Amino acid sequence: MDAIKFVLNGVEVAYEGSATDRLLDVLRDTYGTKSVKCGCKEGECGACSVLIDGTLINSCCVAMGAVDGCSIVTVEGFRETERFAALEKAFAGISAVQCGFCIPGMILAAEALLSKNPHPTTDEIREGLSGNLCRCTGYNAIVSAINTAAKEGNGLW
Amino acid sequence: MVNGYAPKCLQEALEIRAAHDVVPYAGGTDLMVENRPNVTYLFLNKIPELKQVVVDDNYIRIGSGVTFTEAIANENVPQLMKEAISRIAACAIRNAGTFGGNLGNGSAKADSVLIEFVSGAKLRLLSVKGERIVDVEKFYLGRKKLDLGSDEIIAEVLLPKTGLENYYYEKVGGRNALAISRVSFAGVFEEKDGKIVNIAAAFGAVADTVLRYRDIEAMLIGKTIEEAKAMKAEYIQAYSDRMVLTRGRVSAEYRKTVCMNLLGEFLSKFGI
Amino acid sequence: MEKISQSVVKKDHLPKITGRSCYVGDYVGDILVGKMLRSKYARAKVLSVKVPELPEGYYYVDRNDVPGDNNVNIVMDDTPVYAREIVEYIGEPIAMVCGPDEAVVKEILSKIEVEYEELEPLLDLRLATEAHFDYEYGKGDLEKAFAEADKVYVEEFETGYQDQAYIECQGMMAEPEADGRMFVHGSMQCAYYVHGAVARVLGCGPSGVHVLQDVTGGGFGGKEAFPSILGSQVAVAAKKAGKAVRCIFDRDEDLEFSSKRHPSLNTYKIAVKDGKITAMDIDVKFNGGAYTTLSAVVLQRGIIAASGVYNVPNLHVRGRALKTNSTPSGAYRGFGAPQTFFSVEMFMNHIAQDLGIDSIDFKLANVVKQGDGTSTSGIYHFPVPLVDMLNEVDAKTDLFKKHKEYSKPQTGRYRKGIGMSWYFHGAGFTGSGERDHIKAVAKLHKYPDGSVEVLACNGEIGQGLRTTFPKIVAHELNIPLEKVYYDHPDTARVPDSGPTVASRSLMVVGELLRRAAIKLRDVWVDGEDQIVTENFKEPDFMIPFYIDKFQGDAYPTYAWAVNAIEVEVDTYTGVTKIVNATGNFDVGTPIDWNIVMGQMEGGFLQGIGYTSTEKIYYDNKGRMRNTTFSDYLIPTSKDVVDLNCMLHVEKYPNGPYGAKGAGELPLVGAPGAFVEAVEMALGAGHKINHMPFNAEEVIKELSKEV
Repeated sequence: MDAIKFVLNGVEVAYEGSATDRLLDVLRDTYGTKSVKCGCKEGECGACSVLIDGTLINSCCVAMGAVDGCSIVTVEGFRETERFAALEKAFAGISAVQCGFCIPGMILAAEALLSKNPHPTTDEIREGLSGNLCRCTGYNAIVSAINTAAKEGNGLW
Repeated sequence: MVNGYAPKCLQEALEIRAAHDVVPYAGGTDLMVENRPNVTYLFLNKIPELKQVVVDDNYIRIGSGVTFTEAIANENVPQLMKEAISRIAACAIRNAGTFGGNLGNGSAKADSVLIEFVSGAKLRLLSVKGERIVDVEKFYLGRKKLDLGSDEIIAEVLLPKTGLENYYYEKVGGRNALAISRVSFAGVFEEKDGKIVNIAAAFGAVADTVLRYRDIEAMLIGKTIEEAKAMKAEYIQAYSDRMVLTRGRVSAEYRKTVCMNLLGEFLSKFGI
Repeated sequence: MEKISQSVVKKDHLPKITGRSCYVGDYVGDILVGKMLRSKYARAKVLSVKVPELPEGYYYVDRNDVPGDNNVNIVMDDTPVYAREIVEYIGEPIAMVCGPDEAVVKEILSKIEVEYEELEPLLDLRLATEAHFDYEYGKGDLEKAFAEADKVYVEEFETGYQDQAYIECQGMMAEPEADGRMFVHGSMQCAYYVHGAVARVLGCGPSGVHVLQDVTGGGFGGKEAFPSILGSQVAVAAKKAGKAVRCIFDRDEDLEFSSKRHPSLNTYKIAVKDGKITAMDIDVKFNGGAYTTLSAVVLQRGIIAASGVYNVPNLHVRGRALKTNSTPSGAYRGFGAPQTFFSVEMFMNHIAQDLGIDSIDFKLANVVKQGDGTSTSGIYHFPVPLVDMLNEVDAKTDLFKKHKEYSKPQTGRYRKGIGMSWYFHGAGFTGSGERDHIKAVAKLHKYPDGSVEVLACNGEIGQGLRTTFPKIVAHELNIPLEKVYYDHPDTARVPDSGPTVASRSLMVVGELLRRAAIKLRDVWVDGEDQIVTENFKEPDFMIPFYIDKFQGDAYPTYAWAVNAIEVEVDTYTGVTKIVNATGNFDVGTPIDWNIVMGQMEGGFLQGIGYTSTEKIYYDNKGRMRNTTFSDYLIPTSKDVVDLNCMLHVEKYPNGPYGAKGAGELPLVGAPGAFVEAVEMALGAGHKINHMPFNAEEVIKELSKEV
């Protein structure tokens, strides 16, 4: 049987396990990308969001067989980028991180949004984050941080 | 791969579907929540033939592997369909979820299926034996029951090319995003030479399957707006009498009230 | 803005945003996975449990494996670690199966056969008679006041469950150490609570265990007492297996079987004379669930707040936490007060409606001011800024005008309403808890290199303590913030500064740290290793509180708030859109502007969720029906507009730089404001006395003849 080959944060990997395994579990347990959090296993909280070929996806709702040939980015990879730095700074400036559990997913949701729409309106930001539940912040600070990142990081997206 | 097949083309997929006990996997957003044990998936997410939206003489043909996000961005997909699918869950789910998967789940809450019902869409089913075109209304046999052979896959949704321009759509969920429909309504309306040539209404998430009553619709076909107005109460009453709704997370009474309110609003919107 | 209020980058910002923070689920290594065997019935006798033969390395753990006492110490000791012979609610843990492979553990669980003898459960709060706790207090002459009243009103109010819905589920882990100690760590608010509970369960004494709070993905009260139970369960399993055992709840398990906010039934009888309230007779019933857990203290806070922010010369309050065969209710931000504040605020609206006056005017005519007596015959020692705060809210929202305008009859599909609620949150532990029970101790450790470590046990759960504690110390020592740090507490090395609850950490422990810093400043010697200790001292102005009579100052001071929520109700679907949500909050001096605003916004939205979409459904067997996040509906980013929060500062002289309790306040009043707004939109005559009030409730209410 052929292994499932994909690129994880820029590195080619081959997964020998079952095609029915959850991407979320494999990312955490096999590849140690622990920034990917498990909040519900039903695609409702967004804590496990990753980028697959640049698209925001809940990794709990993906079977390994579906990622054969894909490129996957988690915060472990994204945190090395300038775009991350702009988001990080904006989140820091308004203390948008509280318990932190939703944050890696939020950051990737922000990246997915801004890469399609570099200058979103507040409503568009709220739409872009609507699959990522946060129980701490009431969303104000996160929305505001993404707004700031979009302005300050002008040209990055 | 272990416990999975990832065919590269449609023909290969059909052969695997015929030869093995497999579960077709499109976006994964419903299947992975179910997380059935000991299954083998047939991955359909990379088959080019299933990922196209094409327009022919009669139909807008949406491939079963087209994701909702892709459809929202596609100029050929009717606005009514876009409105409904843009209310599905949130972007990460719309990025993965597909038309085929929405149908394959067999749920009356499926937001794209409601539009397929109201527009009288057909489905193109394929197997190694050939193709079968079925009305979506006949494809849905009941809750989680589909007219789908164990060797068949859903290949395309065939939406009529015209007649969906004048519509009324509402989704009532428990919240504004990540919301499963509690009541959904779609109505389409067409008038020609002062007479109603088409008036269709479909109700989602209120019973075991999406509800549409062609015989009640027929009451108003061929009538003028004025004639229809005079029949409005009778028309609404006919729906009210026919619709036996089930309770879900909300009561049958709530569903009924909202359905009737939205039906009335639909008629009003088109002057009836 | 004062220097101490200026925002800094939070100390835990970078590790969290880069995904490097290690939550309990992130540890790797030789860790056994623990999963619960749970009761299928709400009440039953467990006759037998047939466990299949276990593969090598797998363990079945139940009450027979508990080395010490099979009771978890919370307030009382009635919660079993693993079920006794009789199970008291659906989901009560009978045993844990643990082993290296989760799939195998689940398979073993599916093969275990439990034989039950079903017993009749009690599921309905209205039918409950067995009180876990039954309190009563009052003042004045009730009988006389009711006899002399112009009008007497009676109404019953009902509030529902609410789940804390932190995004990180409950998770605890225990590791036997080489020296024989048990190391327990995980997602929690109160390391010393877990410490005390586990020591007793293991029968090993306090030195036989130490507890570390891992990075914690939200608490909101849900991780106050519950980790003591789960921590005890994993500790017993780890003791038996001789290996590390970790149990992390699945979301459905967490929603269904961890403690939630108490549902309540509150009956109010109010006497009005000359436009003033002269008496209230209040009966409060909380659904405590199967075991007592924190019901005593939740109920105390709830009944102390029952008469709201109003002057009530003649008062009688009875409060009971009743036993039912349901998941034990527990702590949730607000701690009993949201239930009673909702009730009293709605009742004030209804009485005003009957009197034919605007409810804001009626509330203004009865509101307390500085120097007035509290419900428990204490005194509001400090300024009560509610009227000023109300005017500030009006300036932002045009509240007064809209309140009158939207009260007029409306037609059409979409109708508007605006609601106002005002309320307090008593800062810190109720009564003499700090003095008699907690006796907080905090320390500062100065190292030879000049860095200073804060030694306390209050858990960072997102509210910012890892930043605000060091901020206070750095400010007082006049050293850079980088020189002061506060790690997650391990009971092996920090003193017991009390639990992370009751909006107390910053106000009480922050003040201890401020004083400790002053002490350290006085004795500071460069290059030396120095430790200073500070102990809690009760403020001298307090009127002593007696819990047996509910007399005295229940709280040293109060945080105050005014909320206004404006809605548009779709009368065809019942869907309510929030047009504006404004909260004016007085939590004293903000120790960090962004952090405090984050608390206000987050708490406010939780309150909005509580009163609108967050409904929990049960079947007639006592089983929760909506156990997923697609079905238990907390707000998404699309469910609100930007929340409009502001701070009004009344400094508290005994809090650090004037800070008061903050964390819980913003949640408490949203229900009163939201439901009043919806009620107004539905039109005169509609009287809503229950919540959550979701779309279905709107349609049901509209179908009523009024």
